[in-house]
Amino acid sequence: MSGLNSKDFEALALPLLDPLYNFARWLCSDPGEAQDLVQETFAKALKNFASFQQGSNFRAWMFTILRNTFLTSRTGLERRNTTQEDEEEFEDLVAGVENPETILIRRADVELVQEAIAKLPPNFRDVLLLADMEEMRYQEIADVLGVPIGTVMSRLARARKQVRECIVVTLGVKQ
Amino acid sequence: MNCEWRQKAVLFADDELGHAEQEEVSAHVSRCAECASTVTGQMELKKAVRIAGHRFTAPAGLRANVLAGIPAKPRRRSLWQWVLVPATLLVLAALAFFLLLPQRHNESLLAELVDQHVTTLASQNPVDVISTDHHTVKPWFQGKLPFSFNLPELAGSQFVLLGGKMVYVEQRPGAELLYEIRKHRISIFIFQSRSDDKPVVRPDHPLAFTVETWKQSGLQFSLVTDVSPDDAHRLKSMFEDANKS
Repeated sequence: MSGLNSKDFEALALPLLDPLYNFARWLCSDPGEAQDLVQETFAKALKNFASFQQGSNFRAWMFTILRNTFLTSRTGLERRNTTQEDEEEFEDLVAGVENPETILIRRADVELVQEAIAKLPPNFRDVLLLADMEEMRYQEIADVLGVPIGTVMSRLARARKQVRECIVVTLGVKQ
Repeated sequence: MNCEWRQKAVLFADDELGHAEQEEVSAHVSRCAECASTVTGQMELKKAVRIAGHRFTAPAGLRANVLAGIPAKPRRRSLWQWVLVPATLLVLAALAFFLLLPQRHNESLLAELVDQHVTTLASQNPVDVISTDHHTVKPWFQGKLPFSFNLPELAGSQFVLLGGKMVYVEQRPGAELLYEIRKHRISIFIFQSRSDDKPVVRPDHPLAFTVETWKQSGLQFSLVTDVSPDDAHRLKSMFEDANKS
């Protein structure tokens, strides 16, 4: 028994409401579904709060519950059935970044980046958002998604590559 | 674009290297244009994703709904809460019911006797047999009650017998004897004891009257009065002496 109570839960969990909802909206584009997902996440977390180990990563724990809950939802099940992934080694994926690409990324507006993120395969998008938006460590992401750390690294590399390409193509066409 | 440090440059930008390696790669990046470009490009992309990713804010209603789901008091959904606590409460409630019921019953009996005493005081005909002589009063009850009792000899005391009457409390016939001392009146109620009678319990709240109860020779005696407890106790002792078997 951790000795934590519902007041502790409130203090720890409420600041995560916005990040969790934001991530939920990326997972399921429907606002109502995202709200249900967050509410269910909070309910499950509260129910299992006694099993949460004090001193461990509460934020990662909440994101894990959110994502696992999502995967059992209708949208999540559909996604699991359609997502396929090529296995490529991280080493093969890491590409250098040319200066002109960086200049284009600087010029990209928020909507364009959001569009590029939205176009990503869901598994890549999850890793990219957890790494660059939530600023989680590779190991935390691996824990949340329940995948090996090598998979996190390769998905992250491919996600970045695709976002970069999307921006370059869009801005290049405009120019 | 084939610098052998390329992978490390990516990990460096993600701050995933140990302190020593981080220092090492930092030194390399400062002198390798290719890796510097990789790190800068990744940092720019990270920043763009961080800004673009924060796209949605939780609606106010969601916060309220989530808060409503968190109980104000700590709760632990354990076996203890769901099974043992209700079971314990049930047992305690049953115990309280069976233990307090006789007490409540006896409190109500006491209240009934006090009411009877007050009614007698207020009545224009407080007694049915009017006599200061206990040799007159006691025989009056013969044939009216299924039990007999003795009245104390009052000679030498300040108590005066005023008379007596029949009373019925809880469907039980009994005798009420009325005494007076210094213009204050005392009712003595006498009923037959029952085997299931519980000791009369005084209520928690203070009573306006002095009440004495005791059992003797198969009889239940109750004394209700507004005289001092000393006088009340004195009359009680006289009754006890008179009814010694």
